[in-house]
Amino acid sequence: MLRYNFIYELRLLLRSRWIQLLSLLLLLLFGFSVFNGMGKVEKRRDDIAAARKEVSASDQAMLKLLDSVERGLDVSVSPWTIPSSPMAVANYYPRVAAMDPQPMAFASTGQADLFTHYVKPTASGDDFSLNFTEMTSPVQLLFGSFDLAFVIVYLLPLLIIAFTYNILSSEKESGSLRLLASQPISIQKWVFHKLILRFFWLSLLVTVSLLLVFFIMGIDPLHWNAVFSLLGLTLCYMLFWFALAFLVNLLSNSSAKNAVSLLGLWVVFVLLVPSVLNQLGNTLYPMPPRTLMINEMRLQKAEATKQQDKILDNYLRDHPEYAINDSTQSRSFWHGYMASQKLVKEALAPIVGSYEEQLSKQQDWTRKMQWISPAIIAQESLNSLAGTSTQDYEAYRKQVVQFAELWRAHFMPFLFNNTLFTTNDHDALPQFQYQPLQQNGGIQAMSILLLMALVLLGLGFAMQSAPRQKGILSDQ
Amino acid sequence: MISTNNLTKKFGDFTAVDQLSLSVNEGEILCLLGANGAGKSTTINMLLNFINPSSGSATINNLDVVKNPIKTKEYITYIPENLMLYPSLSAIENLDYFSGIAGKQLPSADLEGFLRDAGLQEEAFHKRISTFSKGMRQKVGIAIALAKDTKVLLLDEPTSGLDPKASNEFGNLLQKLRKKGVAILMATHDLFRAKEVATHIGIMKDGQLRQQFIAEDISLAQLEKAYLETMEYKEVLS
Amino acid sequence: MIAKTCIKELKELMRDGRIRTAFLIVIVLLGVAIWISARQYQSINEQYQSAKTTERSVWDDQGEKNPHSAAHYGTYAFKPKYPLSLLDQGVDKYAGSSIFLEAHKRNEAQFSVAADQTGLARFGDLTPDFILLFIIPLFIILLGYNSFTKEREMGTLTLLKSLGVPSWKWALGKWLALFFPILAITALLFLLAGILLSNLQDFGVFNWTSLLMMFVVYIGYYVAFINIVLFISLKVKKSGIALVLSLSIWILACLVAPKAASNIAEAKHPYPTRQEFAANVLKDKQEGLDGHDPWSKESKLLEQKVLAEYGVDSIHKLPFNFDGYRMQKGEEHEAEVYLKHYNYLKEQFSEQSKVYKGLAMISPYLPTRFMSMAIAQTDYNTHWDFADAAETYRIATQKFLNDNFAQNSTYGEWSYRADADFWKQLPVFEYDPPELKTILAQNSSNLWILAIWLAISFSLLLLTTKNI
Repeated sequence: MLRYNFIYELRLLLRSRWIQLLSLLLLLLFGFSVFNGMGKVEKRRDDIAAARKEVSASDQAMLKLLDSVERGLDVSVSPWTIPSSPMAVANYYPRVAAMDPQPMAFASTGQADLFTHYVKPTASGDDFSLNFTEMTSPVQLLFGSFDLAFVIVYLLPLLIIAFTYNILSSEKESGSLRLLASQPISIQKWVFHKLILRFFWLSLLVTVSLLLVFFIMGIDPLHWNAVFSLLGLTLCYMLFWFALAFLVNLLSNSSAKNAVSLLGLWVVFVLLVPSVLNQLGNTLYPMPPRTLMINEMRLQKAEATKQQDKILDNYLRDHPEYAINDSTQSRSFWHGYMASQKLVKEALAPIVGSYEEQLSKQQDWTRKMQWISPAIIAQESLNSLAGTSTQDYEAYRKQVVQFAELWRAHFMPFLFNNTLFTTNDHDALPQFQYQPLQQNGGIQAMSILLLMALVLLGLGFAMQSAPRQKGILSDQ
Repeated sequence: MISTNNLTKKFGDFTAVDQLSLSVNEGEILCLLGANGAGKSTTINMLLNFINPSSGSATINNLDVVKNPIKTKEYITYIPENLMLYPSLSAIENLDYFSGIAGKQLPSADLEGFLRDAGLQEEAFHKRISTFSKGMRQKVGIAIALAKDTKVLLLDEPTSGLDPKASNEFGNLLQKLRKKGVAILMATHDLFRAKEVATHIGIMKDGQLRQQFIAEDISLAQLEKAYLETMEYKEVLS
Repeated sequence: MIAKTCIKELKELMRDGRIRTAFLIVIVLLGVAIWISARQYQSINEQYQSAKTTERSVWDDQGEKNPHSAAHYGTYAFKPKYPLSLLDQGVDKYAGSSIFLEAHKRNEAQFSVAADQTGLARFGDLTPDFILLFIIPLFIILLGYNSFTKEREMGTLTLLKSLGVPSWKWALGKWLALFFPILAITALLFLLAGILLSNLQDFGVFNWTSLLMMFVVYIGYYVAFINIVLFISLKVKKSGIALVLSLSIWILACLVAPKAASNIAEAKHPYPTRQEFAANVLKDKQEGLDGHDPWSKESKLLEQKVLAEYGVDSIHKLPFNFDGYRMQKGEEHEAEVYLKHYNYLKEQFSEQSKVYKGLAMISPYLPTRFMSMAIAQTDYNTHWDFADAAETYRIATQKFLNDNFAQNSTYGEWSYRADADFWKQLPVFEYDPPELKTILAQNSSNLWILAIWLAISFSLLLLTTKNI
């Protein structure tokens, strides 16, 4: 039977122009979304490159200034920005801490439109003054991006629904079901064959058109592992929707009913479950209001400012090496500032930690609950494949905060030993290198999706008695 | 070849088929006559295992249809009242597909032969079914029966809506199949055609087989009289 | 005839189990969404109140301090939540709600809710606007896709035509049968929201007129959808095709168009990155007066100008502290720089808005979305308005502080401390959102687009009805 279904399904699909329509639609959707994604990634790369270029230009200027200072020449810049002062370097010559895009970043915007991809931490200011959100029109954030992930997670299931909702019911409605059912075959198997064949053709179309789009757009260099992960995820996600269509096709016998049921399921899985889970996550692990953090931070800072001299004394007591090495013992604004900054940071750590803790609890909750909706699984794994998931930006933030710490620490000996910053010290300045999160290639997500699909298919076959199915043959 | 034993189907309070026992042997054509709702189609549906009987049993080639739903269908070809095929496929493609999924892989020369034997004009072989009349579609149905080398042919009102010439041609085809040893069960309203093609004739009413004749033993006029009497009997009763 | 058709259609709908279930689901979802939003609204307002009072007391209790230190210490402006955000959350989640007001710097609103949430947040929230904008149009499709096709399929169309009734009467009956249930759900929702809001404590700026206006906008949106769905049902022969076509329109209008618009808008009129923006501002700032730098060329120029104006030969002889005066002048220059750069952002956004309006031609969703957010005061314009008000307040605050410094100290007297009571004299930051009239005037183009949608869809429907 499979052989005949295979030959004739293709002919039927070609003659009804389904294959042609789907190819065109897929090429258009994939093309447009990949084009958008590539544009964003390119802009991100350019922005980072420009920032790096600017830093290296300002470094050249700094070296020139240093050179002049060291040769005892006059320089025409504001006195507190002369780079022989270590704090001037620490504040006016920051490094770029950039999050370079991952090879598949174009596939999913994820949180990329919300967060910034490079910051320049300075010694002054604190970790909270590092604003990690990007300057974007909130309207854009609200509407989201037409990216490949959107096409896969939202639109592909709709195409599948349109492609499969009436496999059995159309036979009934056109009248060919009675002849079909009088053949020595099992109808369940027949529907299964049809669906698997349609799945096969759609998979082929998706694969070919995706690869074609990648090829034309010149994803370069091709990261085959990532491309295969993307394809594997997409196909598993598609299989889930085909399995759902299988069940609905067997359960109900009118095309309109099937379409409405499948669409209802789409609304539930793609729109409702994620938003309800998000709401529940927020209710279960609520973020303490940020206004509270602001108030707390202000009080702590006010306190620190009042006690600045005492704090500095305490700090020096903890770090006797500074007292020994420095012969001048001269103390400026920066000495007190840096010492109290450290104290404020430690005092605020529990509050700041509570946000991270709640966020990671929410993430755990999402991970635990994601099997309720395959759309969440697909979206989250695409995000992490693209390196644009919440976790990626969290990792980036942590690395930047660490780097800022390193940056400050680098200048502390200069400051407290009252040594000048020289040309030779330039090369030793700490550099930031983003370490992307390890990727598991979405194996787990794929297995969950596959399992879901298999359970649904098994359910379809388990309804062997299927009284309804006979019902669709008895009434005329 | 076809046999039912006290076959009964109830839909709630309504008894559609009531303890029906009949049999059709190889090379016989049984025509079931009866008004709408007499239980003819329900009987055929039960023979196809489209619906389960409430009690009693039906067998095809001595196999119970409920226990062997797929095996029994290997012997059966069914032509519903309005035989629908895939409109975007040609006659020969439809034939290939249906005989193919029934497990008969045949070369296209054989398929063309069956279509020819079923009386379809040569030029229609490769035309799409969407252009076919009901008579032409039925010929494809007969070709499926030939291709499956069928032992049982179940027909539901095959001649309704056919013009007299097409109806006559169809009758001749059935005769050909009968001679090949096929057991044919045909539900119809058409007394004239029944008399023409049948070897046996039964009159059904309220799910029961009220009268049975051997076709040769009865004239068309007698058949009509018997039919009307059976129908009236109900009027008297109710 | 109209009433009869309408009643017959309503009966048919009522007897359909699927529609009863869907109706129930929509009502339950609406109930849940309103309940969640109402809770959120209350807790956010409580947070707002407490943050505002705490921050003010932090400011008031700074103690003796140099005014310019206080300026650097700064204060916060918090954005309140408005009553109609109960119905439409708009961009609130993505726009920060607190702005740090300090010397020399205009800051952006910080801490958007979305930045503190997981990736799930990007799927959307179960809020009334989600149901109003996405689910109810789907419900319209479910109710109406086979309104005419079923008559064709059952063969009753020929019967109806043979009765000699004008087809428009018959079609109007069907239209009304589709319109009434939608009107009922929407009216119920808005009524519920209105009652809820007028019973909440300190509901402030809530007024029924805005609610009514919002209701009208949504009804316009639904009428456009009803017209489209019925038009398709009239034009197409089979119910299945009508369903698929109507759904495609929904996907295009509600999902694809906004996202595509956002991509096109961003590609054509991009915002600078945060770092770029800061760098540009810094560059412009350096070209003018820096209040902290008495040695710069601009400082010297200002000095000469002021000396000439007062006819004295030394800044020590000026009747005020020149440090404070220069600080204020520098502040004014910086404010100008920020104004220029923020105006550029606004310009970019207004260009982006044109893209959205252009694409509104294929999507009635877009003008409705923008109108609804605007009326609910949760749109980007309101956010700008708030940010601008905060900036005005910041500038006024800086002047207040610099003037005190200039008036009460002498040149070079950086050790000057203002009284501990002085801070209380700074007026409290109060923000009044734009009135409904202003909002409607600003968004008149969206109203027009919606009106065009209605006009075109009605005339299409009418023309097709004639040729049934």
